[in-house]
Amino acid sequence: MKSLIFVHTFFLFAALNSTNAMVVEDEVIDHVAMLMPLAEKHCFSCHHDTKRSGGLSIKSYFMGINDFESRIVRGGKVWTNIIQTVKSGEMPPAGEPHMTHQERDAFINSVNAILLKSLSSNDPGRVVIRRLSHNEYEYSIYNLVGVKFDAKSRFPNDGSGGAGFDNFPNTLFVTPLKMERYYDAADEIMDLAYSDPSTWIKIVPKPYKENLLRRIFNWLVRLFSGKNYVENHLIAAEEIIIPFTSNAFRRFLKPEEKQIYLSLFKEVYDGTEGKDKFNLAIKETLKAVLISPNFLYRYEEEQPVNHAYPLSNFELASRLSFFLWSTFPDKELFEVAYRDDLHDVRVLKKQVQRMLEDEKAKHFSESFATQWFGISRFKEENTADPERYPEMTPSLRASMYQELVEFFHYVLTESKNFLELIDSDYTFLNEELANHYGIGGISGEDFRKVALVNSPRGGILGMGSILTSTSLPIRTSPVLRGKWVLEEILGTPAPPPPPDAGELPEEEAADANASIRDLLTIHRSKPACISCHQKMDPIGFGLENFDAIGRWRNGYGTDPIVAWDTLPSGEVFNGPFDLKKILATKKELFARTISEKIFTYAIGRNVEFRDELYIQALVKNLIENDFNSEQFIIALASSYPFRYKVNDTAEKFKMIAKN
Amino acid sequence: MSNWHISRRRMLKGLGASIALPFLQAMVPPGMSIYNMEKKPVRFACMFMPNGVNKFHWTPEKFGRDFELTSTLRPLSNVKNDILILNNLMNKGSIFPGADGHYAKTANLLTGLPIYQTVGDNLHSGGISFDQLIAKHNGQDTLLDSVQYGMDRINSGIDGAVGFTRLYGSVISWKTPTQPCSREIDPRMAFDRLFRGSLPNSSPKEDKWKKSILDLVKDDADALQRKLGRADQDKLEEYLESIRSIEKRIDNEEKIKAFENKITPAIQKELVGLNMRINEFNETFVGVDITEKTRQMLDIMALAFWTDATRVGTFMFGNSVSNRNFSFLPGVQGSHHQLSHHQNLEDQLEQYRIINEWHVEQYAYFLEKLKSLPEGDSNLLDSSMIMFCSGLRDGNSHSPYNLPVLVGGKGGGGLKPGQNLDFEKDTPLANLYLSMARVLDMPLECFADSTGELCEIHV
Repeated sequence: MKSLIFVHTFFLFAALNSTNAMVVEDEVIDHVAMLMPLAEKHCFSCHHDTKRSGGLSIKSYFMGINDFESRIVRGGKVWTNIIQTVKSGEMPPAGEPHMTHQERDAFINSVNAILLKSLSSNDPGRVVIRRLSHNEYEYSIYNLVGVKFDAKSRFPNDGSGGAGFDNFPNTLFVTPLKMERYYDAADEIMDLAYSDPSTWIKIVPKPYKENLLRRIFNWLVRLFSGKNYVENHLIAAEEIIIPFTSNAFRRFLKPEEKQIYLSLFKEVYDGTEGKDKFNLAIKETLKAVLISPNFLYRYEEEQPVNHAYPLSNFELASRLSFFLWSTFPDKELFEVAYRDDLHDVRVLKKQVQRMLEDEKAKHFSESFATQWFGISRFKEENTADPERYPEMTPSLRASMYQELVEFFHYVLTESKNFLELIDSDYTFLNEELANHYGIGGISGEDFRKVALVNSPRGGILGMGSILTSTSLPIRTSPVLRGKWVLEEILGTPAPPPPPDAGELPEEEAADANASIRDLLTIHRSKPACISCHQKMDPIGFGLENFDAIGRWRNGYGTDPIVAWDTLPSGEVFNGPFDLKKILATKKELFARTISEKIFTYAIGRNVEFRDELYIQALVKNLIENDFNSEQFIIALASSYPFRYKVNDTAEKFKMIAKN
Repeated sequence: MSNWHISRRRMLKGLGASIALPFLQAMVPPGMSIYNMEKKPVRFACMFMPNGVNKFHWTPEKFGRDFELTSTLRPLSNVKNDILILNNLMNKGSIFPGADGHYAKTANLLTGLPIYQTVGDNLHSGGISFDQLIAKHNGQDTLLDSVQYGMDRINSGIDGAVGFTRLYGSVISWKTPTQPCSREIDPRMAFDRLFRGSLPNSSPKEDKWKKSILDLVKDDADALQRKLGRADQDKLEEYLESIRSIEKRIDNEEKIKAFENKITPAIQKELVGLNMRINEFNETFVGVDITEKTRQMLDIMALAFWTDATRVGTFMFGNSVSNRNFSFLPGVQGSHHQLSHHQNLEDQLEQYRIINEWHVEQYAYFLEKLKSLPEGDSNLLDSSMIMFCSGLRDGNSHSPYNLPVLVGGKGGGGLKPGQNLDFEKDTPLANLYLSMARVLDMPLECFADSTGELCEIHV
């Protein structure tokens, strides 16, 4: 427990430190009074209720008689974005009255002060009970039963919420149709296991047989002791059912739970004829385990207290295991949770390190990275036009997908430097993909790390999967690529286009020799479009040397590609080499994107404004440790929102109402 | 049999209610007799087309009964007298501050109310969808209260540009405002769920312990619910309800018998044929022939209606913003959403129109299929109400006004098809739902923003 307090206070301290760096400590200053005239001078003219430039009305925060400060706090997430854009110099835009350095600092500091004052450092947030995602179901079934079941093609698809991850509770539903599929799946899975002796023997190592000797023995017992015969089959069944179910439920069973599963076994056993009734009864009982809500849902029990409290050791083990492995805890983690204190940061650290080294960590790499970068359906869906790009075969798509997975996993577990996601001097290739990239000397289907010399590849921006999925079917789209970088790398999405924006005339753009830059220049000349396209397009132009399926090209036909441009923040670049170098210097933005994405995936809820202190601490952790992935994962796993929970306030509210 | 008929209501109006009226054969819609009219349940389906229509080639020029089909609607020529073309309906729930081009006009198509703008943590469709309301009301006697079919998986992720979860673009059926229905997109699985046991020589797998297993997990869930917070309990309620619905399906022997009795040799012949087509499809064209896959899903729904396995269905040709590549159609070079932003360029408008026409063609296929299936001395289409619509009119401007809406079938005699009707500008789409509710014998005071029934469509 001592170490627990230590972790907690250490964390608070780290958080407060970062707070100090940002706030001008002064309780007397009326921050709203500081802020409002600045906002009025620089923001209101575009960001008011009728114009809502960029979908934002800043003026609305200062209207009416309500307490402006608490309104700003409620819109905390919006205001953190506002600070970002003001900080970067993007707003107010050129052409509007100039904002002096002093004004800028005053603006940022006032907002920061208002927001930070509102943050309490002991609100871990709430995670709603969640059904296993199809991924988690597949891996859990494999680890539990030893059967590979293709859940994704058998179950109706889930939508996904927070930051686009499929493990997000509010979009994981159970419907009658899904429940039918779960039942059928359990039936099929147990049939498969039963029909394959090498699988079944792992579930039932010693099948119980009621042989003649035992029957005579039972008869004797009954004859002499007057008791009922010794129910050996029940003892044998218990040895199989209880550990299986504990694994499935990720915890020890309660006595009454043991009872109901064993009584199902007994019911089936007594109601079945034939030599194999023991196995058949086991099979039916385990089927029930596989559709039990205790297996299908991840949940954390509520404690009867009215403040935040740490998760139980088993619950924490479960969170860790689903985070890094997409499956339930293995034997060692289970035992550590039982014997040691997982909240002890040394124990936790050791486990995280071990888990990252385990091959199951690749589940995380695949699931997280392909969803973060938006290519989770890349293998199944061909977005390129098959006539224009017949080269885009299913096997090439699979190779492109695998490149990203292998690369991310290497960054996570070997190089341990997240910055290499943006720029690296290696990638992972097999023969097919190497040919596509025009890199020689690679043969065979297997992926291997390939050192890059003077190559535009390296980092995810040189990858076929990313470059293709950010293109249109018949041509590249600098806008989409730019938008993608803004959203997924820098975490600064551009606002949506106005309704009458229109798109490029496809006919002209379909001409392979047309310069997209010329077309876009026309489009951009509309005043309504320029402010956002100025942000998106240059980044996309920097990647124009990659065609719509990620091959290198030197020109559109005979016309050369102009891949130089200027970012709104002023840096000039020419081509992907320079662009990647510049993006790699945007450390704070990238660190925040990583932190928010992994936080969302790991905990299972959106990052909200109340998490700001924790996010800031994670950003700091990344920057101070040169983007070390392992230290980051440890920091996240030991963070307060990961290890704590608080009861549902709705429930509390209900109880108060009753009294 | 006479080929004219008088609406009973009109007759009452004309004669005054003081006279006790005999029920005349003349009051029965053509193709029906007094004796089977009462018994035939009315089927409802809604077919959703993403991305709107080419507005220049949708509405026929003349209104009333004497109209000529436009080029987009031409595939409906065989069933011209079985359809209603409804103009100037709109869904006011699609318009609110922050509403985007597609999502805010898709998820609420059948709810008629504004959705919550969210990336997923407080999903809310505004209300229960009209199809689910019918399912709740009229679906209790059938094997399944409703079916939801589609062509694409639910889209995952959020559309960062507009701040909506993509789920909203993939769902029109909402069991509750916060619970979207799952849907089937695989013909094989959709077929098997309903008909696997009805094929000749099929021996349904014996599952003696199913009930005990379901009882056990229900106890498990009850115990679990006591340990959870409020929001968690709500979530677990979905589980309990789903278990109950399976139990109902296996428990109700009467229902199962009734369903089995309906499998006549004629139906079985259809089932065998469709089953073979699905097998062939899976072997040869997986994922390529979109037209064939669409028709298989529609055939399954037609058979589900015919066998009375269900009376309510929805079908989504694609998720909204669908960018299905339609280059397989002659004259089209590109994908759906992209072409829907035609910028009024003649060439793109035409390609957009051809894509619309393909959708109408599949709809016509479905109507003709229903018409070919006899029921009593009439056919299945006569006792159906099959709606076809999109959440937008012009895809280029995302216009939510004057939605393209068609209704096929006679609704068991309650509808007066064969008309192209022009309603007052901005008539609520919900008025149609109100009208259909009456045809379904499900009287509603109002639905969403409805202001009254669409009198012209009633007999």
